[in-house]
Amino acid sequence: MRPGDEGGKHMKRVIEFILNGNGVSAEVASHKMLLEVLRDTFEMTGTKEGCGQGECGACTVMIDGVSINACLYPAFEVEGKSVTTVEGLVGEGGKLHPIQEAFVEKGGIQCGFCSPGMILSAKALLDENPAPNEDEIKRGISGNLCRCTGYVQIVDSIKEAATRLSGQDPA
Amino acid sequence: MKKFDYYQPKSLREAYGLMEKQKGEARYIAGGTDIIWRVKQGLIQADALISLRGIEGLDGIRLNGHLTLGSMVLFRTVERSADLARACPSLAQAVSVLANPQVRNIATIGGNLCNGAPSADCAPPLMALEAVLTLEGPGGKREVPIGAFFKGPGETCMDKTEVLTQITIPEMAADSGAVFLKKGRVSQDISIVNAAALLVMEGKVCRKCRLVVGAVAPVPLRLTDVEKMVEGQEVGPELLDRVGNRVEQAVSPITDVRSTEEYRRALSAALVKRAIQQAHRRALKR
Repeated sequence: MRPGDEGGKHMKRVIEFILNGNGVSAEVASHKMLLEVLRDTFEMTGTKEGCGQGECGACTVMIDGVSINACLYPAFEVEGKSVTTVEGLVGEGGKLHPIQEAFVEKGGIQCGFCSPGMILSAKALLDENPAPNEDEIKRGISGNLCRCTGYVQIVDSIKEAATRLSGQDPA
Repeated sequence: MKKFDYYQPKSLREAYGLMEKQKGEARYIAGGTDIIWRVKQGLIQADALISLRGIEGLDGIRLNGHLTLGSMVLFRTVERSADLARACPSLAQAVSVLANPQVRNIATIGGNLCNGAPSADCAPPLMALEAVLTLEGPGGKREVPIGAFFKGPGETCMDKTEVLTQITIPEMAADSGAVFLKKGRVSQDISIVNAAALLVMEGKVCRKCRLVVGAVAPVPLRLTDVEKMVEGQEVGPELLDRVGNRVEQAVSPITDVRSTEEYRRALSAALVKRAIQQAHRRALKR
């Protein structure tokens, strides 16, 4: 048991983790999911709440390089881990990540609500498979719903992102 | 969001202790992709969740003849393992069509089973392979054949303090083929019907047959009568027709938001027949 684990309905703890490269800490209640902590405590509002059930992918973030649904991720479990939100993809001076640039270029963004999650799923895919074929792309985004684009431009954006990333020097 | 306490024990002993101390509704939680959303919906009550994620030794994979999977093995791990795909192709197939990438990255085999859903995608392949489950609790350890594990929708034979720690899958015989098939409305869907088949062949004749169909009965259903029709026979269209008719009689599907009773009944027959054909083809290739 740790300090703050007194039980009852008011169990709280200070959690420490890395958020977009920076060490952060916050006191959170035991029933909070990571999504709420990211948006409300850290004002990382790029990550959206869509369904709250792990089906729409609007809340997709990366933890230790792995994409997950923040709406179902207990905040206590993020202790010591490294979280990347869409805000973390943006570079110095607001420079967009190549994946973000590709989405802008290829019309993969309409209302933008699915985009943060979609872009992080694309990153997770391309980190593991830098040259995916179309089926692999569709499978990679099978946990992200888009109500606007019909997915065609999103798949095109990811193909473009793969091309842009492969032309870069390895990080 | 309903409030609950969240504990992170570092050992099974600590977990049992926490569970025994709880005064309200308490559950163990693995990946949480089912439990958390059900708590949010108010479908289950939880005053406390006891996480199994921090407990060492529950996510190992051992392959020496038979395959031993820790209950906390992630779907993510299974879908990336060529060894597992070779040793247990039907389980690998099930995992590959389960939910979506983000869920597969934190959900576990054990969690899928302990949820006790009749539609659990991991159940048919593991039941067809006659896996054995290791349950551990404050009173000790016991081995339960998976066929005795599911008791009803959402119910298993586990008692409240027990944890599923390990799944042991017997080695597949030479000349055998195992297949899993799933039908959903869209890619991330819970199964409308799923099915698994294991065929062990001896020349042209099927020596051993195991068939399981899910989402069409209160539990994932082992089709023992249909298995007996196939054993000792050659696989051909006439046998498959008879199999199909028998499957339609054996299942008791319901109409719900995903599908109708009539469609599920017809689909059960089709999937079981297809699974037998594909398992047969796989057996011939080994």
